[in-house]
Amino acid sequence: MPSKLELSRYPLQWLFPVLILVVVFTVYPFAYAIYNSFFQILLVLPTKPFIGFKNYANVVASPYFWESLGNTLTFAAITAPVTVLISLGVARLLLTRFVGRGVVRALVLLPWAIPGSVAGILWLWIFHGQFGVLNALLYKLGIIGSYIQFTKDPRLAKVCVMIAHVWTQIPFTSVLLMAALTTVNKELYEAAEVDGAGVFRRLLSVTIPSVAGMMIISLIYELIIGITAYDVVYSLTGGGPGGATTLLSYYIWKESFTQLNFGTGSALGVLVALLTLVLITTILKVIPNQVMVREGE
Amino acid sequence: MKRFAWILALAILLLPVLVFAQKVTLEFVVWNYSLETIQDNIALFEKANPNIKVNVKDYTWPTYHDTMVLRLKGKTRTDVFYNGEDWLPEFAAAGWVAPLEDYFPEVRKYKEKTASYALADMTYNGKLYGLSYYADLITFQYNKKILKDKGITPPNNWDDVLNASLKLKAGGLQFPFVYEYDETLPNFLQAYISQVYGRGGDMFDAQLKPLFNDPDSEAFKHLQWLQDAVVKHKLVAYGSHETKVDLAMNTGQHAFTVMYNYMLAAMNNVEKPLTGQFDMIPMPGAKHGALGFAKFYCLTAQAAKDPARRNAAWKFIEAFGGGDYKVAKRWAVEKGLGFAALPLMDDPDVKKAWANWIDMEKFKAQAKLAKNGTQTEWMGMWSGFFRPLLAKAINGDSSVADVMDQGAKKWNEYKELLGR
Repeated sequence: MPSKLELSRYPLQWLFPVLILVVVFTVYPFAYAIYNSFFQILLVLPTKPFIGFKNYANVVASPYFWESLGNTLTFAAITAPVTVLISLGVARLLLTRFVGRGVVRALVLLPWAIPGSVAGILWLWIFHGQFGVLNALLYKLGIIGSYIQFTKDPRLAKVCVMIAHVWTQIPFTSVLLMAALTTVNKELYEAAEVDGAGVFRRLLSVTIPSVAGMMIISLIYELIIGITAYDVVYSLTGGGPGGATTLLSYYIWKESFTQLNFGTGSALGVLVALLTLVLITTILKVIPNQVMVREGE
Repeated sequence: MKRFAWILALAILLLPVLVFAQKVTLEFVVWNYSLETIQDNIALFEKANPNIKVNVKDYTWPTYHDTMVLRLKGKTRTDVFYNGEDWLPEFAAAGWVAPLEDYFPEVRKYKEKTASYALADMTYNGKLYGLSYYADLITFQYNKKILKDKGITPPNNWDDVLNASLKLKAGGLQFPFVYEYDETLPNFLQAYISQVYGRGGDMFDAQLKPLFNDPDSEAFKHLQWLQDAVVKHKLVAYGSHETKVDLAMNTGQHAFTVMYNYMLAAMNNVEKPLTGQFDMIPMPGAKHGALGFAKFYCLTAQAAKDPARRNAAWKFIEAFGGGDYKVAKRWAVEKGLGFAALPLMDDPDVKKAWANWIDMEKFKAQAKLAKNGTQTEWMGMWSGFFRPLLAKAINGDSSVADVMDQGAKKWNEYKELLGR
């Protein structure tokens, strides 16, 4: 193990291997996407002429772009906070001692081990309009008189995709929040109880302020995941019906591999990266520094 | 000198052995319909051609086009693959596939034995690019028992379909029409085009100018019909895939559908609950036309460059798509897949097998009225753009006029870019 002195003496040398990976897998693809976004790259054409900002103009003029942008922002704005809030409850539950906690922990973490595309197929069988488990259950309970086409109705399809996505995200965020919760000083709870604080008050005055930093990190992480979500959409709805669940990442894939237009696909990729950057920077600016610092204290 | 002469003589003697011992391996790519039959056909081919080994790689139908784009663009070794009629101009323009006619002029003998719509689908710039895997029609299928029980005669046009559906709905059938609704599938657009052909309409004129955005066109009228059937009359249930439509039809809760014709064989399968209840009628409308299409074995440009691979690929393509049509016949008899080979129309084995699920004469009559779709270099791309719009219009989330205008605008953009 290198000593602190060695690390501080040769910072660049120590960083070099990681920097190489970052350059190869992040900087180069991003720079290449920016470069490609200025060319007309249609796979069926042998040439790729320089067209300046025309790809960006085409993207902005496309009705699909605005629809998928709206879908993506709504999707991320709803799924990120919902995931964090549910995960907080799950994390708190998993830290409580009860019989069978080990089994419950394993079950809750299970979706983490399932790829998003597989999760989409699992949820498709739940939401299926003709053979879905949910329809069968609701019908048997007498709640519905006929089966509902969950994934074929634009509004319901959006909800279905959000539910499936949140389900896949809860385990990871729960683990992050469990780690944060274990650091909370138990004396704070005892003091709050002595002061007569109930469960809800303790949650608001002790738990949330204590893990606010981790909640914000989780929220930012979930926002990025929400903005770049792709696999659940791909396997659950295919972006439909009629583009109702098409998110930006799915739209990039469609432009590139169905429309065979890598120029427009690259322009879209650059726009998504910029959008994510702006969003995260804004969030970090808006949040008071104390919230992030408190946890490290 | 004597020793050299001996070595030379030995080398000459061994040369044919070395050449024959050289086994050519073909990479064959398919979508995963009935993979066990494909593998069995390959095993029979390998047995008859011991110097050719065939590796098969399969992908799902919904992802097939995009996967092939990546595979061919990325120069992943591929010799023969299933190609679709709507992708041929696109792949040929990109230089990924090779015309069989350029290398094997003898392929021309199959032209006269091929159904016209299928031949057109396998031809690009006047050259034949493949031999057919199967060719079929998209037909109007119905439950004859339901109609008979309710005293309804099979519909002749789309007004009849509407009236029959309304009557069935009033009689307790909540969704008389079940529609294969998945905008990710190419056949989502093709089924609609087939219905437009039934009305006697078309999507484009001879100069490839869009006709569908004209409110007086049959294409426009039919999309409005579909939207009304879904939104206004609530007559339509959706099936996300042909297999789901098959299951739905076999519940007896739906009377009408439009699908690939071979699905009639699946619906009438003896193991299905309502076997024997399903039939086809000419596509409703003034002209009763329908979309005919061909899927075919295609030679890649990369394989064409290598004589050994090219010759082996031709042997394979001819064995599977030509010759005495043994493979096409097997698909027809065992799976009910349609065929492009005209001689099979009168084949006694095919006739016998098909008699279990379809009236061959009805099929022949529909096939005579069938025509292929408009195939251009940009059709696959435009289809990918237009299908979500089509889904929106059917669902009532966009007006038919908006959807048609957007579709026409994009078509013209592609035509401007690639139509030269």
